[in-house]
Amino acid sequence: MRDTGLLGRLIQHLRCLPGVGPKTAQRMAFHLLQKDREGARALAETLLQAIDRIGQCSRCRTLTEKPLCDICADPARDKSAVCIVENPSDVWIIEQATVFRGLYFVLHGRLSPLDGIGPGELGLDQLERQLATNGIKELVLATNSTVEGEATAFFIGELAHKHHVQASRIAHGVPMGGELEFIDSGTLLHAFNGRRTI
Amino acid sequence: MTENRVFLQPAYILQQRDYRESSLIVEAFTRDFGRLSLLAKGVRKAKSKSQGLLQPFIPLRLSYLGKAELKTLTDVELAEPFQPLTGLALYCGFYLNELIEAFLHKDDPHPELFADYCQCLADLRQGGPLEAVLRNFELNLIEKSGYGLQLAYDMQHGKPVDPSKKYHLGAELSPVEATEGIYTGKSLLAIQARNFGDPDVLAEAKSLLRHVLDQLLHGKPLNSRKVLNEIIKRL
Ligand SMILES: [Zn+2]
Repeated sequence: MRDTGLLGRLIQHLRCLPGVGPKTAQRMAFHLLQKDREGARALAETLLQAIDRIGQCSRCRTLTEKPLCDICADPARDKSAVCIVENPSDVWIIEQATVFRGLYFVLHGRLSPLDGIGPGELGLDQLERQLATNGIKELVLATNSTVEGEATAFFIGELAHKHHVQASRIAHGVPMGGELEFIDSGTLLHAFNGRRTI
Repeated sequence: MTENRVFLQPAYILQQRDYRESSLIVEAFTRDFGRLSLLAKGVRKAKSKSQGLLQPFIPLRLSYLGKAELKTLTDVELAEPFQPLTGLALYCGFYLNELIEAFLHKDDPHPELFADYCQCLADLRQGGPLEAVLRNFELNLIEKSGYGLQLAYDMQHGKPVDPSKKYHLGAELSPVEATEGIYTGKSLLAIQARNFGDPDVLAEAKSLLRHVLDQLLHGKPLNSRKVLNEIIKRL
């Protein structure tokens, strides 16, 4: 069935969401139109407002509707420690799971030389200005444990050294409750290379 | 119909990109079958054991099937323990991968170049002099992807290159004697012999190979070269 009217367009646009294929998009569209028109209107209006108003925090580049996000604006946060992450969703994850009380800096990506994504594309000039002037004492490099994530962490670590700021990389490796037998060799090797004295 | 199945083929991943919700498309450089694209189904799920391995610069053995442009990965194993590339050597690694993608056609076997690539990664891991390691690989790539570069003979004048004269590179990318030439005969002969001990030779090799690569790529830009330069500028 190829519906080129409004219904067809709605189904097509719902497919821009991650994990939503044609079947799911169809179910969503019919659900909104048949069973929850109220919810559909609220969703549409909120979505429009979010697109118009949510931008990047001027300090940490995370998503926010204010010039300065809640974390950056909170006087209780430790402004001398900054955690570097690839995505705004990583900020949420770290906030929920850890006791980190410093600020963040969101790259919106990682160094990806083959795609032409370099320091300029990741806002690293802005980070370097902060390293030079904002009284930062420690950087925590929480980029992903991929080759590109490592390349990014190394480069930012070098920037930190240049500005006499201490940098540390989050540990990667054996998961909690993980038995060695069930861990893939790549992860195990990473854990081994990152071993520390106890 | 018989399916083409390949088992435990020595390979490196050149690049990978997300495909749909839980899969990856990886560009691989295999020893016996050259460069190829593989679909790795479902490897981005949390429990997948393969995702950590499907990264550049890790010596792998890949099993896959299919004849088409996009083959299906069936298994991946670590070929041997290895030291990861770090620091500047890692950025150089990305550049090597882009060169291979740019120069090798898909499904065109280059076992010798695969060996050169392995050697080059080993040199980078052991902290070899980066510039010399890169120039050496560029020369291997040009030679083994079928272009060939001869720097020891001035065809236009029918004379061997003289170490005390100056040259420019002619249209055929071979040396032509010229009083205002930008390359010295001494450096051309050293580059031909892969002798990069002298810093002047190394500097001339960089500019010469850059020119040759750009000509062979018909102006197609190399992203990683641009990014590498930006990185070095900021460090
Ligand atoms: Zn902020």
